[in-house]
Amino acid sequence: MIRVVDLKKTYGSGAAAVTALAGVTLEIKTGEFVAVMGPSGSGKSTFLSLLGCLERPSGGAYYLDGRDVGSFDEEELAELRNRKFGFVFQSFNLLPRYDILRNVELPMIYAGLPRRERRERAAKLLEMVGLQHRLKHKPPELSGGEQQRVAIARALANDPQVVFADEPTGNLDTRSSHEIMGIFKEMHRSGRTIVLVTHEPDIARYAGRILYFRDGSLIREEAVEDEVH
Amino acid sequence: MRFTDLAQVVSENLLAHRLRAALTIIGITIGIAAVIAVVAIGQGGQAVIISQLESQGSSRYFEVTVDVMRGEAPTSDTFRLQDATLIKELSPAVERMAPLSYASMIDVRRPHSGGKPLLSQLYGTTPDLIYALNMKVEKGRFLSNIDVDAHARVAVLDAELAKELFPDTDPLGKQIFIQDVAATVIGVMQKPPSSILSMMNQTVYLPITFAQEILNSRVIFQLCGVAVSKEALPQAIEDSLKIIRKRHPASGVHYVGNSMEQQLSVVSKVTSVMTLIIGAIAGIALLVGGVGVMNIMLVAVTERTREIGLLMALGARRKDILQQFLFEAVALCLIGGALGVIIGAGGAVAVALLAHWPPLISFWTILLAFGFSACVGLFFGLYPASRAAALSPAEALRQL
Ligand SMILES: Nc1ncnc2c1ncn2[C@@H]1O[C@H](COP(=O)(O)OP(=O)(O)OP(=O)(O)O)[C@@H](O)[C@H]1O
Ligand SMILES: [Mg+2]
Repeated sequence: MIRVVDLKKTYGSGAAAVTALAGVTLEIKTGEFVAVMGPSGSGKSTFLSLLGCLERPSGGAYYLDGRDVGSFDEEELAELRNRKFGFVFQSFNLLPRYDILRNVELPMIYAGLPRRERRERAAKLLEMVGLQHRLKHKPPELSGGEQQRVAIARALANDPQVVFADEPTGNLDTRSSHEIMGIFKEMHRSGRTIVLVTHEPDIARYAGRILYFRDGSLIREEAVEDEVH
Repeated sequence: MRFTDLAQVVSENLLAHRLRAALTIIGITIGIAAVIAVVAIGQGGQAVIISQLESQGSSRYFEVTVDVMRGEAPTSDTFRLQDATLIKELSPAVERMAPLSYASMIDVRRPHSGGKPLLSQLYGTTPDLIYALNMKVEKGRFLSNIDVDAHARVAVLDAELAKELFPDTDPLGKQIFIQDVAATVIGVMQKPPSSILSMMNQTVYLPITFAQEILNSRVIFQLCGVAVSKEALPQAIEDSLKIIRKRHPASGVHYVGNSMEQQLSVVSKVTSVMTLIIGAIAGIALLVGGVGVMNIMLVAVTERTREIGLLMALGARRKDILQQFLFEAVALCLIGGALGVIIGAGGAVAVALLAHWPPLISFWTILLAFGFSACVGLFFGLYPASRAAALSPAEALRQL
């Protein structure tokens, strides 16, 4: 379970200081699927990267399963990102010089898994997202939808509890978007917590709850009645 | 992260930027090759000079002369024939001592050879000279004390002169004319080991008593001695000078003693300093190569900041990132270092072959070069690597 209290993030200092997150308090239950919406610059990405421990907050507290994440050192944060979290980005962020098998292997390399085990698991994950016939291809040889599926397979490499996705369908057409969301739904069904940032109401309706941000604050939240299944 | 995975990632990254890696490696290679070649050539040359100096005489060799630095020259009263014998008898530190009289441009020829005379050097001396100058007899024998006492009209030729005078016959027992005085050849000396410092070409050795008759002069140029041991050299020189001064109180010259040891140490000091200076210049080349590595690593880090952010988001620890970039830098330097050792050693061997001296590439030079290139890699890889690892994943991902 994720619980944040008065979570704040300020960039820069003095006159140039920008408040990206002005103090957010909320809870996300284990196994919940949450969407984050709001206008551009409202602090959605900042919120997500604080939850994902990609950077440290300027103020407030963050509890993960009751443990105070603020007290973790860099090593523990890296371990957390490696074992408990998975990330999916709008721009895929695959390494173009590696084939997709090796891209999916990366988190397992840092987890210290032996090579054979890594390869087997990576191949299985790629099969799950329907790319078993493209293992030796490099990312630039794939379509956007296919690349995002590789990124999802990579996010699941170490069987994370929580998957953070920042506009994963932002660069995709409608059809691919819904294919991708189908995979997210699948992940949710297998018990993972999902926090997803999106601009599109259609996409947000895959979640069970929507958080609305404005000017760095959580202004409203609503449960989704007609959740897409 | 496992070591084999680290090695794989590093080699993949280097291969992904082949040209850049190759250029960096060339920089290091040139630096290392220059250092190794210079040091090896310097040490080889030094070894040659020293070995040739040593082959000129015993390491226990010393000589007593007048102070030529003050423009002094020996006269017929400076040294006497008995001085050498006496010093040898009186000083326990002196094992051998030979007086030496000397002349150049001496007319030496075979009987009935009307043609051009051979101009040779002449050494008038006693049997001990052979020990002082480390000479070896090729044929016949060297001078004996009986020859000296008897003013015997005998001559010993050096290899060069023997070849000139008797190109196709055995010189032993033959007659030659030295300044028109007849003498019998009793021995031929061995050719000294090839020597860039050789001053002893075409020399005829005579009993000093006979030489004084030919030259019509009693001047003895110097005394050539051998001490009982290297340690006894200072004592031998001191004793010799004391005895000589006592025997010639009115000679009016300054007697000085020099040992081969002193000359050797001066020479080796000079050549070491030269090697050091040139080595330092080559070291600058290496440093420039090192800055090249740092430059490349900085570019690599900046260019790959986003990648670093991604790897950290996927769970890479700062340690992993730091390790990866350090290994990349060290790998570049070690590959460059290995190539540099090969090229530098090859160059040194080539020079040694051309100059006819032994190639002298010490294990230490190679170890030093390798150690140095690894340090260059560590040192110049550390800054970019720590810069890369200091970013938070979010910051790094935002780049570009
Ligand atoms: N590194 C930074 N330095 C300074 N300001 C920043 C930085 N990152 C974000 N900001 C500012 O913080 C605010 C929130 O940014 P954030 O990226 O979280 O918005 P967002 O809701 O994700 O917007 P979008 O929908 O366009 O992605 C913005 O005003 C942005 O300009
Ligand atoms: Mg955003």
